[in-house]
Amino acid sequence: MLKFILRRILIMIPQLFLLSVLIFLLAKAMPGDALTGQLAANPKMDPQTLEEMREKLGLNDPVHIQYIRWVKNMLQGDLGLSYTHQQPVTDLLAGRVGNTVLLSAAILVLTYLIAIPLGVVSGRWTNTWADKLIVGYSYIGYATPLFIFALIMLFVFGFHLGWFPTGGSVDIQVEEGTLAYYLSKLNHLMLPALSGALINTVVTIQYLRSEIIDTKVKDFVKTARAKGVPERQIYWRHILRNSFLPIAAFLGYEITGLIGGSVFLESIYSYPGLGQLFLQSIMQRDYSVVTALVMISGVATLVGTLLSDIILSAVDPRIRIE
Amino acid sequence: MLLDVRHLKVHYPVRGGFFRRVVDYVKAVDDVSFSLNQGETYGLVGESGCGKTTTGRTIIGLIRATAGEVLFEGTDLTKLSRRQFHPYRKDIQMIFQDPYSSLNPRKRVLDIIAEPLRNFEKLSPHEERKKVQSMLERVGLSADSIYKYPHEFSGGQRQRIGIARALMLNPKLIIADEPVSALDVSVQAQVLNFMKDIQQDYGLTYLFISHDLGIIRHMCDRIGIMYRGRLVEEGTSEDIFANPQHIYTKRLLSAIPNADPRERGKQTALRREVEQEYAQAYSRYFDETGRAYPLKPISPTHSVAIP
Amino acid sequence: MKIEVNRPAPVDIASEKSPSALSIMWRELVRDRLALVSLIILSVILLIVYGASIFLDQEEIVKVDFLAIHSPPSAEHWLGTDYGGRDVFGQLIIGARNSFTIGLAITLITGAIGLVVGLVAGYFGGWIDNVIMRIIDFILVLPFLMLVIVFVAIVPKYNVATFILIMSAFLWTGKARLIRAKTLAERELDYVSASKTLGTPDWKIILFQILPNLSSIIIVNLTLNLAGNIGIESGLTYLGFGLPESTPSLGTLVSYATNPDVLQNKWWVWLPASLLILVMMLCINFIGQALKRAADARQRLG
Repeated sequence: MLKFILRRILIMIPQLFLLSVLIFLLAKAMPGDALTGQLAANPKMDPQTLEEMREKLGLNDPVHIQYIRWVKNMLQGDLGLSYTHQQPVTDLLAGRVGNTVLLSAAILVLTYLIAIPLGVVSGRWTNTWADKLIVGYSYIGYATPLFIFALIMLFVFGFHLGWFPTGGSVDIQVEEGTLAYYLSKLNHLMLPALSGALINTVVTIQYLRSEIIDTKVKDFVKTARAKGVPERQIYWRHILRNSFLPIAAFLGYEITGLIGGSVFLESIYSYPGLGQLFLQSIMQRDYSVVTALVMISGVATLVGTLLSDIILSAVDPRIRIE
Repeated sequence: MLLDVRHLKVHYPVRGGFFRRVVDYVKAVDDVSFSLNQGETYGLVGESGCGKTTTGRTIIGLIRATAGEVLFEGTDLTKLSRRQFHPYRKDIQMIFQDPYSSLNPRKRVLDIIAEPLRNFEKLSPHEERKKVQSMLERVGLSADSIYKYPHEFSGGQRQRIGIARALMLNPKLIIADEPVSALDVSVQAQVLNFMKDIQQDYGLTYLFISHDLGIIRHMCDRIGIMYRGRLVEEGTSEDIFANPQHIYTKRLLSAIPNADPRERGKQTALRREVEQEYAQAYSRYFDETGRAYPLKPISPTHSVAIP
Repeated sequence: MKIEVNRPAPVDIASEKSPSALSIMWRELVRDRLALVSLIILSVILLIVYGASIFLDQEEIVKVDFLAIHSPPSAEHWLGTDYGGRDVFGQLIIGARNSFTIGLAITLITGAIGLVVGLVAGYFGGWIDNVIMRIIDFILVLPFLMLVIVFVAIVPKYNVATFILIMSAFLWTGKARLIRAKTLAERELDYVSASKTLGTPDWKIILFQILPNLSSIIIVNLTLNLAGNIGIESGLTYLGFGLPESTPSLGTLVSYATNPDVLQNKWWVWLPASLLILVMMLCINFIGQALKRAADARQRLG
């Protein structure tokens, strides 16, 4: 087991390296460099001084030296300077990351809260009306693009019915730290999180359903039934336990989807998180922020897959063999 | 001598440890030598996993040999490149164990049987169909089944299609890898007798691989007994069945079921005796690593693996 | 516990040729009511969209008319006009045509790449397979959406072709992995060994022996992917990083809803396009699900 984890981490190192090279090259390909920001703030800078500053910052060095410096800075938490906000990218991200993590966590919790009961009901009582409804929902949810669903949710519940706020992450009037503040945060969170979860959950529902249907005709379940184990216990002890473990392990794989989803959700609900920051930065050509965000999501995805692989291998020893 | 297998070895690396280094080898075929004369049937017998199928597949080039030679009419097939091997494909053909997976479910019988023709001969579609039809009749299937698909045939019929395909190029040697073990017992005899018929008609040489001693006795002129990748005894059918020498051969023979219930007591006693001898004499037949000794001739036709 | 009884189907061998994979799938599709309805709806939509786009003058539609800004649906403008006074219905037709065509192009390109790579990796195995799989593993762990957006933002001379290329560069991997796994399984079957001993060259074995056995999975996968690709394209266009403005897509119309006033009060601008995307994706998905059942003999309807 330990050997598997070590080897799995070893595989991640070249991936991490390639990812950083790719993003570094992309950053180089983006128009402008670290000085473009300075130039925007101070347009009268003379070309000579500019060239001197370039030299001083090492922007004229060979590419590989620049790359090493870039990685070093990144490891020390220095992600450069945002020129639109005129502050270190690290500070900028720190102010936003909480919202995105909150939104993603809420989506995940809701996803499982919806998927587990629906999946179990639909897998246990197949071909009933409840099952047909759930399967119908999962088909429609599977086909619906997130951004359209989120827009319609916003249109119906935000604007038309007015049940939820239509933008932002918290009311401006409320004071930070009060109960009203947290309630307002929750209120702003509900609609985006629900939109994400209702779409995100269908894959898990389908997985659970087919897993339960497959397991309940297996011989060990028949044996348990033949021995007179009550139906409730058969489901709880024998079927669900086997089906739940892999679901827990999928958590890491979900990160990719959550990052993509947050870009859409935050843009539609003008929710001030990293996804929205990413879109704004790329439109304002604030490339140091863009580079940092892509790198962070890349690392998050890599670590997520790593975690999932490790959990899965702990749950299912067959995976470890390769 | 048509085929001469010399010191054939097929080893697979076993990887282990943190860096996946090769820590050991599985010796699927471990220094096996035997030869086939023109027109005879040579039987390779052994329990599953003893390396008999690997031997067959290595001879025909499906598996790469680790070491040793496979001399076919004097040419070492293991040293040939793919292109150089091509002309020999005509001469060596194979009948597969599973008549279901060995026929492509998406192909019509015509395409299946004509596949070797298309690789070696340039025939017009008409000539090709003629040839396929006459071969189908030869193997006992109706000539108008050429447009059917494999799933429309029974197991025995499918095996006949497989045989027809192997015969298309007039091969000299046919490697039959458990050709009837997937068939119903009632059909087995039919197919086996049919194989004997065509052997005479076409002057075929068979390398017959099986775990069923009854079938081997029925089919083979000479027999090699394989155990854990090595030959432990080799001789004529007479030598092996009347005068088994190696303890493993004896054990294998004692396991042949006897249909006569009156002999049951005798059979049980015999098995117990062999079992006892096996336990006692194990160290005389296998060295300390459990490997069988090299073959030693005890008569012009009969060799045994003893120290 | 229900026991499945195998009813022997009355098959007249003389008259009925063994059905090909395609004809089985077609039969299953037509038998599945939901899939049949989906197929009809999708065909009608595509017929209207492609038919009408021949007669529609794109120049005319994208012409700005300040006298008719945001006018609600009327006899002249069936679905009203947008902020530039442009006819929404016309844009809907052209957008649907572009979205579908581009989704299809991406599906076919990624399908072709995935097929070649998957077949080669699966059939030959060894180091070729190893190298290809490492590359695929790497691409699969990249933050796809963000990288596509970055590429779209920095590629010089950005147009439809570059968009298709960028998308295809990421999206071939899933198919390649699927095809590889299936090829690996087929390769172990004896009919492949038989072909080798019969002297058939590798490329012929791959193309004429293995490929026909993968056809149903490929069709299912491409169908489901087509829906997914239309969704991704319109989503990216919605964000402003999909098709360039010269090529309006359904996502372009939906993106007008980023203006809260449009979202709240001018439903005719964005809602029809959203619903059209939804309907197309549902139809394609239902067809794909039916095909999936047809490809799996255990789930066939009969």
